[in-house]
Amino acid sequence: MSSGHNYPHESTGVETRKLGMWVFLSTEILFFGTLITTFMIFKGRDFPGIKLTDVYDIPFTSVSSFVLLMSSLTMVLAHNALENSDQEKTRVWLLATAMLGSVFLAGQIYEFTEFYHKGFELSTNIFSSTFYVLTGFHGLHVFIGVVFLIGLWAIGQRQQGLSLDSGFNLEFIALYWHFVDIVWIVLFTVVYLI
Amino acid sequence: MSAEHKEHPSPKQYVQIAIVLAVLTAIEVALYYTEDIVGVFTDPLLIFLAIGKYVIVVGWFMHLRFENKMVNRFFAGGMILALFLFAIVMIERATGNFFN
Repeated sequence: MSSGHNYPHESTGVETRKLGMWVFLSTEILFFGTLITTFMIFKGRDFPGIKLTDVYDIPFTSVSSFVLLMSSLTMVLAHNALENSDQEKTRVWLLATAMLGSVFLAGQIYEFTEFYHKGFELSTNIFSSTFYVLTGFHGLHVFIGVVFLIGLWAIGQRQQGLSLDSGFNLEFIALYWHFVDIVWIVLFTVVYLI
Repeated sequence: MSAEHKEHPSPKQYVQIAIVLAVLTAIEVALYYTEDIVGVFTDPLLIFLAIGKYVIVVGWFMHLRFENKMVNRFFAGGMILALFLFAIVMIERATGNFFN
């Protein structure tokens, strides 16, 4: 059974790379916090043009949210498999995570296309601009995550396999992926449900 | 220091956590469709459920509850700053300063 690590040789007691990753995620919270705040300034106001509530499809977005949530499960299972030195399971769960992320991205592209055809465009009004910038940046983060996951999977295909000590580390990619998931947990509620 | 020696969940526990997250998501969607019945409690309940899902993913999937206190402080710092910004802007919005 794996457990949290302590690094007494580091003055902070935390591995420097891991601490750096958490600081990066902390700055990402501020980045998305700013975008969400901007979105909320204009949400609920009357603007010319079609409204978001006229075009969105809650059942479809709910399924997308479920897919992204389950990708966090497959990601943590990949991490767990690597901690137990099971290279094959690690690769399988990594690929499953990348596929679920791709399904989410495909759903977002489909959703954006539908919105666009219904007249809810980037330039329809300032509210639509904040919507596309917010959800688009999240989608970009998912895309970057999928690229990282496929990169990790490709490295795992090599003879020596993956290691939690290597530079391109599964643990850090997992942290990034779960972060993308928690951002969507907030966006799904703030943008679509409230 | 004890938090640093807690064991991570097992795969079975991860699956159980994911089931809880799926159920919470289903409740969120159900709340959206029953807004006429739930009334003014809908939005607070939705926010409460989102916070619950957020805490579960950060605590168990990201293993923050098993991490060093310093890591927790850095992550909490970003959260607090973002919430502070959000609160200030929402107060400004409520007073109508953005739209005058």
